[in-house]
Amino acid sequence: MPNDNEIIDNIANKEYEFGFVTDIEMDILPAGLNENTIRYISEKKKEPEWLLEWRLKGFLAFQKQKLPEWQNFELPPIDFQKISYYAAPRNKKKYNSLDEVDPELLATFEKLGIPLSEQKALTGVAVDAVFDSISIATTYKDKLKELGIIFCSFGEAVQEHPELVRKYVGSVVPHSDNIFAALNAAVFSDGSFVYIPKGVRCPMELSTYFRINTENTGQFERTLIIADEGSYVSYLEGCTAPTRDENQLHAAVVELIALENAEIKYSTVQNWYPGDKDGKGGIYNFVTKRGICKGANAKISWTQVETGSAITWKYPSVILQGDNSTGEFYSVAVTRNRQIADTGTKMYHIGRNTRSRIISKGISAGHGNNSYRGLVQIGPKADDARNFTQCDSLLIGDQCGAHTFPYIESKNNTATVEHEATTSKIGEDQIFYLNQRGIDSEKAVALIINGYAKEVLNQLPMEFAVEAQKLLSITLEGSVG
Amino acid sequence: MSMTSSPSIPLFEEVVNGFHKLSVSGGTQQESSDLRRTRQQAFDKFRELGFPSIRHEDWRYTNLARFLKDEFTIEGWEVSGKAVLPDAALLKKAEIASLDCYQVVLVNGVWDGKVTGGTLPGNIRLLKVAEARQDPALSLYFEKQAGWSEHFANLNGALFSDGLFIRVDAGATIEKPLHVVHVYTSENNLLVQPRNVWVIHRNAELSVIETLVSGGEAKIWVNGLTEILVHADARFHHTMLQTAGAGVRLVQQTTVHQQRQSLYNNFTITLPGADLVRNDLQTRLEEDHTETHLYGLYLAAGSQLVDNHTLVDHQKPHCLSNELYKGVLLEQSTGVFNGKVYVHQDAQKTNAFQQNNNLVISKKATIDSKPQLEIFADDVKCSHGSTVGQFSEEALFYLRARGIGEEAAKGLLINAFAFDVTEKIRIPEVEAHVNELISLHIPVNHA
Repeated sequence: MPNDNEIIDNIANKEYEFGFVTDIEMDILPAGLNENTIRYISEKKKEPEWLLEWRLKGFLAFQKQKLPEWQNFELPPIDFQKISYYAAPRNKKKYNSLDEVDPELLATFEKLGIPLSEQKALTGVAVDAVFDSISIATTYKDKLKELGIIFCSFGEAVQEHPELVRKYVGSVVPHSDNIFAALNAAVFSDGSFVYIPKGVRCPMELSTYFRINTENTGQFERTLIIADEGSYVSYLEGCTAPTRDENQLHAAVVELIALENAEIKYSTVQNWYPGDKDGKGGIYNFVTKRGICKGANAKISWTQVETGSAITWKYPSVILQGDNSTGEFYSVAVTRNRQIADTGTKMYHIGRNTRSRIISKGISAGHGNNSYRGLVQIGPKADDARNFTQCDSLLIGDQCGAHTFPYIESKNNTATVEHEATTSKIGEDQIFYLNQRGIDSEKAVALIINGYAKEVLNQLPMEFAVEAQKLLSITLEGSVG
Repeated sequence: MSMTSSPSIPLFEEVVNGFHKLSVSGGTQQESSDLRRTRQQAFDKFRELGFPSIRHEDWRYTNLARFLKDEFTIEGWEVSGKAVLPDAALLKKAEIASLDCYQVVLVNGVWDGKVTGGTLPGNIRLLKVAEARQDPALSLYFEKQAGWSEHFANLNGALFSDGLFIRVDAGATIEKPLHVVHVYTSENNLLVQPRNVWVIHRNAELSVIETLVSGGEAKIWVNGLTEILVHADARFHHTMLQTAGAGVRLVQQTTVHQQRQSLYNNFTITLPGADLVRNDLQTRLEEDHTETHLYGLYLAAGSQLVDNHTLVDHQKPHCLSNELYKGVLLEQSTGVFNGKVYVHQDAQKTNAFQQNNNLVISKKATIDSKPQLEIFADDVKCSHGSTVGQFSEEALFYLRARGIGEEAAKGLLINAFAFDVTEKIRIPEVEAHVNELISLHIPVNHA
């Protein structure tokens, strides 16, 4: 059995396996941010006037706001002028068939294990692949069209369904919500758009795969999902980036709108480049995700497995406006080396009889710091609201930290709110028990971690659950407590 | 940050002017240079910080704006030494039936030097803080912390005038509890800054019960600061009964330093009355194998705001802390709980438990609860829990089916809810007294 030092070296030296760079011709806007940058992006994307105006409002809001100071980590200085706000693979036109896509790009996604080609039909997942700023391909579009489902890049939606975009964009995350959301509103380049018509149950998983490739670019995509009355959709996102010494900013916005009786299930497996063992490089993953249950009986469920990024900073939230609506949040966040995660959720109970459930599992190893920050707010009209929160932290090694900051605010005497949190290490008795049965310590830890995270992993669609489980065991390989 | 200081608050101006006046011509002239320096530092810090606003994380749910509107006169050094005669009716309010104890009375933070309830044993010494702070042999127990970060602690540091100093000698077990009665009464609006310093030496044991009562029409802002040092193997039991009436705004910071294998028990009981109660209870576990129990019970009514902030700072290994705070919120009251448990990297084998339960009775009451764990050591067991709820319909039905009226049934359930805290009080007379106090406030009409 290796000793602790070897084991720690082992984790530290474990390479990030998606760290390669794709060599491909790109259209890159020079670094810098001003009104012209925004006009350039808007023009490049042939956007209508109202969208440009909205972007400029976002830019104004961005300039007015200061970087926050309340977070539980030191925010490294970010020079917004040194970032390039637009990078797209050259020869960009919308592909009708995958044969036309640059083979280099296809190979990239192949390498990442993303089934873009139609032959992979058996997996039954429709994919929108976003490479740097731009959506390069969306599969299964025609099949979805038959049901009236719109699944396309954001840019395409602006051209083809402007009325839907105009109605909903910024309705959940306003252009002035926070500094990163304001920046996104100003410079977002693409993203995914989903509309599920009334009463339609989307027959397959929809998925977006994000890849940052170019150096010194930020990725600012915007996702908008609208589930009309009585519809259902399950949506997945995955992310990777090459290994680089510089930090790169990813400031995305996700807006979910669930109308009466609709349900949206949003799953994320986030594996951006986390930086090396000394904390050099890595992605700053500062994302604003928020959903609204607009109508009665609506449901929004967030599931996230966060293993990548130098800093993960996001709080996928749900506004429970409709009576009897439900919000859920399931999260596993792993930090190792010098990684930082400050994540959690916010549940705003506005309607009557609304329910929310929060399960958060943090795992800290090496010098990693993991914070859960959550808000459960019960408004005066949210009669009989119900919340249950459980957040557990697992510490591996004595250099890491685990923190919990739950906020409970109740203005209603019929509400029931429960919060519980525990922090501990992996029990020596548990490892001993497994050793006794011939399972070595490494496997024992993997087994315990997987058991620990199971409540969350079970929420993922099957294809992703397998991937997430694998990712979890790779990330924590060798980390015996 | 200077942007937070609020020159528009009349009290802020009053404090700034008052401090200048007193340090030039007032009572600080005869104080030791060391004390004057400490005052100046605390004042500079306070001037920089100002009064807190809801933009400060620690004051997020406690908006002082409506309490700071009134004008107050600073009770400064000039009154120290002069004890006002306490009103007999007020003292009666503080009485704990059939409790055999020593008793001292502080009026507006000043002790008259008298002890009732028997002669104190030789191994416990009580002094006026104004004297003890000037005594070089005792001043070392003051300001154990190098500089405060809190707004109100600095205000107290700058302007405190008097209070009670207690020292228990090593090895002494004081059998009878000491009842410290704080009486606040004034005809004019007053800002009072009592300072208490209590030192329990090695292997000694003491039980202190503090009762706070008030009278008069005036508004009294009490900004109390108590420093407690529990030496190795010592045991200190501390009960605070906050029964002040309307008009009182109480901000009480209690800082406890615990050394090796010491035990500290705290009971903080807040009852309806005072407009504002803000408790900052900080326990610093500075050596290994300590044990700490913090129990709180708050019953808030009217438009009262009761805010309990606690910190358990685990600095060394093998320490145990256990915290239970329960709140009952009536009428338009607001309850705030913020419990922070901090486990340093050194503090392996820490066991830290924390729980906060709230019973919201009235439609208009508000509760904000923020338990918080910050952990940097891996071999620990830490947990916290927080709940917000109301009467269980089933329990009510059960009682009513047995012929108990609705109001009586609710009263029973509130008593049962509070029982988890009250039963832990080690002195039966005090437990009975607390139950009596609760029953005075159980809602007759809860709508």
